[in-house]
Amino acid sequence: MFKKLIADSTAKSPWIYHINTGSCNGCDIELVAVLTPRYDAERFGFKLAGTPRHADIVVVSGPITTQSKERLIRTLAQVPEPKCVVSLGSCPRSCNVFKGSYSVEGPLENFVHVDVSVAGCTPKPEAVIEGLYKATEILKQKREAMKK
Amino acid sequence: MKFPFLKQAIPNLFSKPSTVLFPKVNVDAKPNYRGRLAYDPEKCINCGMCIKVCSPGAITRTFEEVEGGERITYEFDMTSCTFCATCEDFCSEKAIHMTQDYHMVATDPAELIVRGTRIKKKVLGQLTCGEECIFCGLCARSCPENAITVDRASKSWSVDTEKCVKCGICISKCPKKCLSFAEPAEEGVNCSDACIYCTLCAKKCPTGAIEVDRAAKSWTINREDCTKCGTCVAACPKKALSIGPIVEKAPAPAEGASPAEAPAPVEAAAEKVEAAAEAVAEKVGEKAEAAVERIAEKADEAVEAPKTEE
Repeated sequence: MFKKLIADSTAKSPWIYHINTGSCNGCDIELVAVLTPRYDAERFGFKLAGTPRHADIVVVSGPITTQSKERLIRTLAQVPEPKCVVSLGSCPRSCNVFKGSYSVEGPLENFVHVDVSVAGCTPKPEAVIEGLYKATEILKQKREAMKK
Repeated sequence: MKFPFLKQAIPNLFSKPSTVLFPKVNVDAKPNYRGRLAYDPEKCINCGMCIKVCSPGAITRTFEEVEGGERITYEFDMTSCTFCATCEDFCSEKAIHMTQDYHMVATDPAELIVRGTRIKKKVLGQLTCGEECIFCGLCARSCPENAITVDRASKSWSVDTEKCVKCGICISKCPKKCLSFAEPAEEGVNCSDACIYCTLCAKKCPTGAIEVDRAAKSWTINREDCTKCGTCVAACPKKALSIGPIVEKAPAPAEGASPAEAPAPVEAAAEKVEAAAEAVAEKVGEKAEAAVERIAEKADEAVEAPKTEE
């Protein structure tokens, strides 16, 4: 019964961890706007976690730069399974206008499987909420798959 | 006793929260918001300007040969787009439009690609009859428009090009398979005498096919690069450009000059070239002789010099 209580509460409150891998800050500002009272993502239980070890959903913004590549891999390794990776904006999906740069290590798909991609440059906060909501549903499926 | 924010605090107790109830209530984006791109392949003239101006290179096009033409597919990758709308600004036919749709969330990125396909029909030329014709008249009988006339006695075959609808029934009925549609005359951009060499067409050309030299008063076009999009025709301030069967030697002969007189300048030019060549040959010969003499003198001096020293 105690286990069920934990399972229910974790499903209702996915914690998000945000990594900026060389983003222009546009997407980061929109993600913060999502957590403010105006859009209030905490209605759905989303909470910004302080450390990747507490997170369920990892939100990545920015093309992966050479400097941030090592840190991204290290951070993603610390996130407990099941985890869900959300790419915020065009950059992590395709490197956007930075593609081909000497300091960009290619799209996020090279390092980890991206579960949800939110397109836009930058996405509207409503679109970010939509993406995060989709991520929780994927997270539920992954949890059920892990039980079996 | 004074409560500083009482005026604001009491109404706030009874008013709604300022939170946007997004998933329950759909929120429309503001009028000038640039969201998902919409592409109308029917309007597109395949000039490729959008591909040229796209800074993240999010637009690709593919060509595929299909029966009766060419299938042209444009793909706009929304996961690579910066939503700058430069493509929309540069599209001369307004085939690209940025919508207010911001719901671009997908687990599969292929869902975020906007596609548009159209088939560019191959233009058929005139109906022609080959030498193997036996003048059986089957084509004339099968023609729904009665455009073909065959006379067995005088062994003549003719087609009324205005009546012919290029349906191809006669080709399928022909026992000798000698009927066919001719290759159409190749079309391209032509420049007339009205040209003032302003270079506007060269600046507007999305493929950079046109070259204009103001000093030399020359207008040239690279036919391989030209997509016949018509951007230059629209840009020309003198309406000197037109799309039609290719006329080589860009400035067409003036209205007064008759075709019979046309060869004369060519001959005159040939004579001039010959005269110039002779003159050059003479000059070269003179100079070469002078140079040989000078070298010989110098050699003599060089040979004599050591002797005088001794």
